[in-house]
Amino acid sequence: MKCLHLVGLIAVALCATSAAHAEGDKSRGRTLVYTCHGCHGVPGYANAYPDYHVPHIAGQNELYLVNALKAYKTGERKHPTMGAQAQSMSDKDIADIAAYLSSLAK
Amino acid sequence: MTRGFSLIAIGALLALTATQTFAAGDPARGKTKIATCVACHGTDGNSVDPQYPRLAGQYADYLAQALHEYKDGRRGNAIMKGFAATLSDQDIDDVSAYFSSMPSKLSGLEGHVQGD
Repeated sequence: MKCLHLVGLIAVALCATSAAHAEGDKSRGRTLVYTCHGCHGVPGYANAYPDYHVPHIAGQNELYLVNALKAYKTGERKHPTMGAQAQSMSDKDIADIAAYLSSLAK
Repeated sequence: MTRGFSLIAIGALLALTATQTFAAGDPARGKTKIATCVACHGTDGNSVDPQYPRLAGQYADYLAQALHEYKDGRRGNAIMKGFAATLSDQDIDDVSAYFSSMPSKLSGLEGHVQGD
């Protein structure tokens, strides 16, 4: 019986940790996006080649941003600059950045 | 001499206008081609489900780039590849122009970094 209690406690603890993990920290994200700003914070700034505008990311949907950054990190989605940037991001960094950017929806 | 220059100038002007007419997407025409997009991205391009990107107000040339990459497989996404495969270059420009013209919740990062 005691054993069951323990299993229950562990299960609850695990759920709590993963939930906390999934929630991005916006204020930390605000600090982290300093690097992004060099390209994504210049109105009308264009990618060198092929020539198209660097997309707006402030206000973009959270899970989409998480998936995009993870895909850049694994190389599944290819872009030289974004690949290099995402390499340096932990899963927590990605969650925090996405939480902050998505909170900026106008 | 002047005549030669004028001819070159007229030629250049014509070439420029021609490319522009060809490349420009038409939002009104785009609106008639988005039936499949709206299920996930919303009629106005402001996807409610957070796994799908908001398209409204995004740069049209970025949207077009993404669609071309889905179409030719550079960007891998089974769902988008299927849809993009059915779009001509003109369709891509029109659809991109339409979503880009919609009222947006997106913006650049200017003014949103630490210390601003």
